[in-house]
Amino acid sequence: MEGLGPFLEVLIGGLLAGVLYSLVALGFVLIYKASGVFNFAQGAMVLLAGLALVRSLDFLVAKGLPFEVAVVGALLFAGAIMAITAWLIERYVLGPLLNQSEMTLFMSTIGATFIIEGAAQMLFGSDVYPLQLYPTDAWIILDEVFPGGILISKLDVWGAVIAGILVAGLAAFFQWTRTGRALRAVADDHAAAQSVGIPIHWIWFVVWLIAGLVAVVAATVWGTKLGVQFSITFLALKALPVLIIGGFTSIPGAIVGGLVIGAGEKLAEIYLGPYIGGGIEYWFAYVLALAVLLVRPQGLFGERIIERI
Amino acid sequence: MTAVAMTLDRPAAVPKAEEREILLSVENVSLSFGGVKAIRDVSFDIRKGEIRAIIGPNGAGKTSMLNVINGFYHPQEGTITFKGQRRHRMAPYIAASQGIARTFQNVALFKGMSTLDNIMTGRTLKMRTGILGQAVYWGWSQKEEIRHREVVERIIDFLEIEHIRKTPVGKLPYGLQKRVELGRALAMEPELLLLDEPMAGMNLEEKQDMCRFILDVNDQLGTTIALIEHDMGVVMDLSDRVVVLDHGVKIADGTPDEVQRNQNVIDAYLGVTR
Amino acid sequence: MLYREAGQFKTSYAGDMAIFPIRQDRIGLAILLAFAFVVVPLLAYFEIGPFGHDYIFKAILIPFLILSLAAIGLNILTGYCGQISLGGGAFMAIGAYAAYNFSLRIPELPLLFSILLSGGMAAFVGILFGIPSLRIKGLYLAVATLAAQFFFDWLFLRVPWFTNYTPSGSVNAPELNFFGWVVNTPAERYMLALMFVTVFAVIAKNLTRGNIGRQWMAIRDMDIAAELMGIRPLYAKLSAFAISSFFIGVAGALWAFVHLGSWEPLTFNIERSFQLLFMVIIGGLGSILGCFLGAAFILILPIFLDQVPHAMGVPLSVETVSHLVYIITGALICFLLIVEPHGFARLWAIAKEKLRLWPFPY
Repeated sequence: MEGLGPFLEVLIGGLLAGVLYSLVALGFVLIYKASGVFNFAQGAMVLLAGLALVRSLDFLVAKGLPFEVAVVGALLFAGAIMAITAWLIERYVLGPLLNQSEMTLFMSTIGATFIIEGAAQMLFGSDVYPLQLYPTDAWIILDEVFPGGILISKLDVWGAVIAGILVAGLAAFFQWTRTGRALRAVADDHAAAQSVGIPIHWIWFVVWLIAGLVAVVAATVWGTKLGVQFSITFLALKALPVLIIGGFTSIPGAIVGGLVIGAGEKLAEIYLGPYIGGGIEYWFAYVLALAVLLVRPQGLFGERIIERI
Repeated sequence: MTAVAMTLDRPAAVPKAEEREILLSVENVSLSFGGVKAIRDVSFDIRKGEIRAIIGPNGAGKTSMLNVINGFYHPQEGTITFKGQRRHRMAPYIAASQGIARTFQNVALFKGMSTLDNIMTGRTLKMRTGILGQAVYWGWSQKEEIRHREVVERIIDFLEIEHIRKTPVGKLPYGLQKRVELGRALAMEPELLLLDEPMAGMNLEEKQDMCRFILDVNDQLGTTIALIEHDMGVVMDLSDRVVVLDHGVKIADGTPDEVQRNQNVIDAYLGVTR
Repeated sequence: MLYREAGQFKTSYAGDMAIFPIRQDRIGLAILLAFAFVVVPLLAYFEIGPFGHDYIFKAILIPFLILSLAAIGLNILTGYCGQISLGGGAFMAIGAYAAYNFSLRIPELPLLFSILLSGGMAAFVGILFGIPSLRIKGLYLAVATLAAQFFFDWLFLRVPWFTNYTPSGSVNAPELNFFGWVVNTPAERYMLALMFVTVFAVIAKNLTRGNIGRQWMAIRDMDIAAELMGIRPLYAKLSAFAISSFFIGVAGALWAFVHLGSWEPLTFNIERSFQLLFMVIIGGLGSILGCFLGAAFILILPIFLDQVPHAMGVPLSVETVSHLVYIITGALICFLLIVEPHGFARLWAIAKEKLRLWPFPY
């Protein structure tokens, strides 16, 4: 039983970290589910949201406002920024490319990524901005059973709870509301959806807005964890393996994928890492995703691609 | 260079359909997708040098049949015998290298390339120079390119598409695209040419041109042709023999006249429930 | 009027299939090559104008040439064969470190062969990472290439054998001795890069207009139809990966040896991969000329944003320049995708079309 304590700690830590990845992956799934577009800019959106949040928070606090009020104000400000961004992207980047191929839209989101990254830093600054919106210490549990107990980060747990709420809410939204149905129609076929009168441009704006708000939430958690800084954008890349495992269109799948990647990464680092030089967290998720793809080219939960002539 | 030269002016001696040898034979082929049976226990043959029409109402399994012959779909049951060799599964590469070429219902041209390049891709199997030679180009590779270009130019001439040879095919009107696709199939110098609704979406003039091309290919090159077509007039005029499919089952097989008078065929087209 | 083709009829297929069929193009190219190969070195030798200083070579010409070569490699894979790759940086790294290790551990091997062999090494790895492309398509393949990128980032950082156990992690290029010619000055490095790139560009052009090029494009446009015509997807895709990686690997070796002199793994990270991808998108997917145009743009933009406001009395901070580069590059990509998806190369071709009619509108 000696190794079990540390193992559990790593496992739990990994699972919780994985849920945090899901928070970012959720934004991708939303947009893909609702418009068929793979939004490479999700990571940049988290950066933008985080910067808007932390800078306005610092500003309001410096003006003397009590912390809680400042937080609310900052969240509103960040939300407004994301709304403006959603409108701009829909209007100038995606709208003109309606009905084009998936690849073209994807590449345009790569373009949007860089615009957002550059603009965000130009407007809000490019330092590292610490954020403290959740408790960052840890609980120690089960210290009677395992020597030293098992360390569980409070921040991670908060993140998991929030992610859970978001997932439940969004899944319900898609399944049961009229807007949700319309979104699914748009994802399936732009031209067909238009021809039955679904206002695509409005729908896309709504979707990107929601994804932007999800980005704000993700920014609160990741910003507290890492500080708001440029490297947050690389979360977007980490979300890709999550999506491959959980599927591009499944909201609960984003959680499952996150859990697998999060746990897998940490376990591999601790138990495999020492044998081959350490630091394998850097690439493990991608290689794992690659391995899954070799077995199932459409991802774990994707639909089988049947080619017809 | 007689091995490569494709002379479009050498007539072939043409005996009657039933007396020629069998080029391709489909035996008891069944094909299903998931639970749907697209083809049920179909057998027929195609004889050398003839024009064989495959007709039937929509959803009868005609395109699926061509896909099976091509090797794109693998039948669950039955065999295909081509040039004497019997197979359960045909790989697309084998089909192509053995001399089967085809056109597609929804034009499957390479939209990023010009007419000339599209037809040149049909020469791929005949080109021998390796990558190293192509990298250097001048010398062996250039001579080969020119040789094949000559062949392709004769096809372009034959199909009367000189004026669009450098145009990207994505920009061409539908009728011309179909012609280019025919050219690409011809470039493979096939023994068996499968045409999937070659005249769909064409006006009368274009259809007449296409008929002329198909007849010429059959007459002058001796190419065996299997053709899916909906226009009955075309079918009756062009084909030597006809196979009729309905809901995946063969319901008639014979000359155009015989098939036209067959009660099952009439029923199928009129939608009479059995 | 200058650019009319009137009277230039091709009397042979060879003439029609030449790389530059229009005589004015050939003259233009001849002038460009003469300038690049003869005039520039002379100006450098006599220290005339900007060519008398190192800056134009070290900061502009040399990186331009080498990045163009890498862009050509990536364009073969992504532009001609349609396989998206986010791993360009990793393959440059493989080329660089392979060349380093060849020249270090087999000092008898002539440097030219070290570099070519390192390209071969990159090609080999390219084939390995290309094998999944037979089953995995599009976006999913991008993830596979990311796996390559991050794996090799880690490999050259954490496995000390590759860097010969240096404590700092950065390594130095060997002396550049090509069969007796020791390449030292920036002008000499420029000539070396120019020679490599010219030869490789010609090879790339030959390949892309030949049989294998058509196979690549067929796979890109409709791989099912291609297969039914006898094109083997295995052969076409793996050859694209191999040749593309070879080019990128050699570019990586040149980048390390000829441009940088000493380097660490960071120079080949994911930012580099994106840089290459942008060059190819902006310059034009499926165009060799586009690679040069794209590389020139990406390279010159930051320099432009640095020098021009400074010259106008409104200097921008390094950070602002970097942010502006991001914004402009991203905006240009979006703009091009909307207006001209075939990039600068197509805009150039359209401009030439207009030139043919100039001064007439039709």
